[in-house]
Amino acid sequence: MVGLSEGEKHFIRGGIAQDLRADGRTRLQFRPVIVETGVIPQANGSARVRLGATEVIASVKAELGKPTVLHPDKGKVSIYVDCSPTAAPIFEGRGSEDLSAELSVALQRCLLGGKSGAGAAIDLSSLIVLEGKACWDLYVDGLVVSSDGNLVDALAAAIKVALSDTGIPKVNVSLNAETDGEPEVDVSDEEFLQFDTSSVPVIVTLTKVGKHYIVDATSEEESQMSSALSVSVNRRGQICGLTKRGGTGLDPTIIFDMISVAKHVSQRFISLLDSEIAAAEVVADE
Amino acid sequence: MEYVNPLTGFRVDGRRPNEMRQLKGEVGVVSRADGSALFEMGNTRVIAAVYGPREVQNRSQQVNSKEALVRCEYRMAEFSTGDRRRKPKGDRRSTEISLVIRQTMEASILTHLMPHSQIDIFVQVLQADGGTRSACINAATLALADAGIPMRDIVTSCSAGYLCSSPLLDLNYIEDSAGGPDVTVGILAKMDKVTLLQMDAKLPMDTFETVMELAIEGCKAIATYIREILLENTKQLEYRRG
Amino acid sequence: MRDLHLPLNQTQRVRLEAALHELQSLAPAAASAASVTVADNIPVNQEDNILKGHGTSDHDGEVVATLCGVVERVNKLVYVRTLRARYKPEVGDIIVGRVIEIAPKRWRLEINFSQDAVLMLSSMNLPDGIQRRRTAVDELNMRSIFEENDVVCAEVRGFQHDGSLHLQARSQKYGKLQRGQLLTVPAYLVKRRKQHFHHLEQYDVDLILGCNGFVWVGQHVLVRENTESKEDKQKLSDEVDTFTPIETRKHICRLANAVRVLSALGFTLTIELIIQTAEASLSSNVEINDMLGAEFYVQTAEREARRRADLLRKKNGAR
Repeated sequence: MVGLSEGEKHFIRGGIAQDLRADGRTRLQFRPVIVETGVIPQANGSARVRLGATEVIASVKAELGKPTVLHPDKGKVSIYVDCSPTAAPIFEGRGSEDLSAELSVALQRCLLGGKSGAGAAIDLSSLIVLEGKACWDLYVDGLVVSSDGNLVDALAAAIKVALSDTGIPKVNVSLNAETDGEPEVDVSDEEFLQFDTSSVPVIVTLTKVGKHYIVDATSEEESQMSSALSVSVNRRGQICGLTKRGGTGLDPTIIFDMISVAKHVSQRFISLLDSEIAAAEVVADE
Repeated sequence: MEYVNPLTGFRVDGRRPNEMRQLKGEVGVVSRADGSALFEMGNTRVIAAVYGPREVQNRSQQVNSKEALVRCEYRMAEFSTGDRRRKPKGDRRSTEISLVIRQTMEASILTHLMPHSQIDIFVQVLQADGGTRSACINAATLALADAGIPMRDIVTSCSAGYLCSSPLLDLNYIEDSAGGPDVTVGILAKMDKVTLLQMDAKLPMDTFETVMELAIEGCKAIATYIREILLENTKQLEYRRG
Repeated sequence: MRDLHLPLNQTQRVRLEAALHELQSLAPAAASAASVTVADNIPVNQEDNILKGHGTSDHDGEVVATLCGVVERVNKLVYVRTLRARYKPEVGDIIVGRVIEIAPKRWRLEINFSQDAVLMLSSMNLPDGIQRRRTAVDELNMRSIFEENDVVCAEVRGFQHDGSLHLQARSQKYGKLQRGQLLTVPAYLVKRRKQHFHHLEQYDVDLILGCNGFVWVGQHVLVRENTESKEDKQKLSDEVDTFTPIETRKHICRLANAVRVLSALGFTLTIELIIQTAEASLSSNVEINDMLGAEFYVQTAEREARRRADLLRKKNGAR
């Protein structure tokens, strides 16, 4: 957010080239990650993720809706991100619209797959209640509370953990005598189905500064980037989505290299998140 | 619906008519802001962040350069209410509440001590369960004190209503939507002055006085709590400093 | 708790609480008793003609605090010393600021004050070092001295009648800072001392503790008579040999992380404490980035508790 002088920029570039960044991290190290679940009790599932000074909250709300005509056997998921002005004064009023839209699209691309629903990280057919008539609509909302770079990775991690914390109520469906009539759906208050998030990917953003790439850039380091590649990888090491940002063109060999680096780094990140999710479940059970 | 059980006297959430919800306040939740705070009243959860006093960014907004310019924005998160509102910012309610919070805080901030500067107060609602504007004002007071901005007094706010022939303190969302009157009061705690008073629906005069006094009692209790948080925080910063 | 965004396990939590508890017991009780919050009454002896200073106001004949802080009494003056607040400038303070804007004959700097500070062209040494009147050409060449976003070290010269702050950078010590990183800490953690520039020879690092809470940690720069800015610009290319050498960089990062940990814990920043913390991390073989981790955080708190306890014992022993 704040501008940097030429001298400071030079120092940052030098640090990245020498594999010793301003806070002592190497190029491929993440900042300490802190994960909490259930921070929004009114939602079906929620999580807060902190990456250094970056803090984001994700919440998942489930509402009953009707499936689209094109996909009568699938539920719907929508992802929407907002940047709170508490994170920075420039986010007040409409100042955050551009960034919010960019983040929402990046997350949708990586987590929701194409228009046909193919490749979605969340199995949309698991959201169906009654084919053609009733399904679950999941509203995933992200909020940026404090920003110090790497918002995409933090939001994707928060969404993954929030989904693991989500309980969809069990429904009992009774069909009417007329086939055209609306089915009666009885939403249970007691029983919940937990979401299986083992196939939900994380996003690792690689920021290219000079000849090297770094992981988990702070906002100062992001200001120095020539381009950035956000790669969405799941536990099996499969690529679920890609977004490239930044004006500088990248050689295809470099892109392949960045993807393999992202895959390698993501496995560590996924294990970290999975252990946090498991720890949160233990606490919830107690 | 029975908002107050005629046999036990308990409300929908188990409280007595003159009982406030559980309060929780914490200072310093947004590290980049000059001052920040989290305030919870029951399930209503709000974060306030203060940036300033700093150089005025947009001179056209400055009316009187001998005083600090106070600006405020109120925003609700998409997930904060039960039914998702698609455009929670920029709508009329948000604009009105932003104005209300700004005016209430301006009454207490000693703006003449910080000429040629601006103070930004941003309030973000994480969960709304009734009494959001009160929670926002309480959070803003904590955040302004955390930022070291001089104030005349601690400003606190609380709401009260009248349902089933009883005055009820600190309405939650269900009670608020019942259609009864909702009186929101903001006071300068030590000076004992009312700085915000809003009411909707009709009330006979003497009932109104009872309800307003109940709200003021609530405000004073919150002020005691806020004072404790600030004092504890000050002591902690001092002994750590060495 | 502010800045405590670290995952602490159970033992670490217990150790941290014990260390903080000890710090609390070592603190003079008078300060705790004199803490006030907004709208608290400040007890004064009414007959003494007390002067009401910063952070106080009159209400119904009583002295009331307008800020959260600690009450200080100096002779007849009573004021409230704030902790977390924006910087309060005093003439002669050495500060570090960032250029926000270039205006006719002056630069505007952001210094963590309620307004931007002004550095006049006439308060700045010219590149060729000659003392002369500034001409129109000088005005047009202001960017060759300082550009937008440059980090500058200067001294507070005084306040103007409209409350704005004026700076000067006449001595060779002041000027543009490059090749390093700028950290922001709360201004109250930097005490006013005789020395704010620290040239750490053993590390080849310059450390400047600005009174406004901006701390500069960077590669040491020789103070030359006629600094040539053109040479500097060439040096800032991306050639590997123009980067800061790796050994110096390690020291810069260690010192910077020491400042980050100490300010997160809320300890006053003195050059001795910063060096001690950096040395401790070296001797315990803590990796540079692990200095920002939970274990080192707790260790630093414990170390500080021991240090203050030793200091108190020496003071009491010396009596």
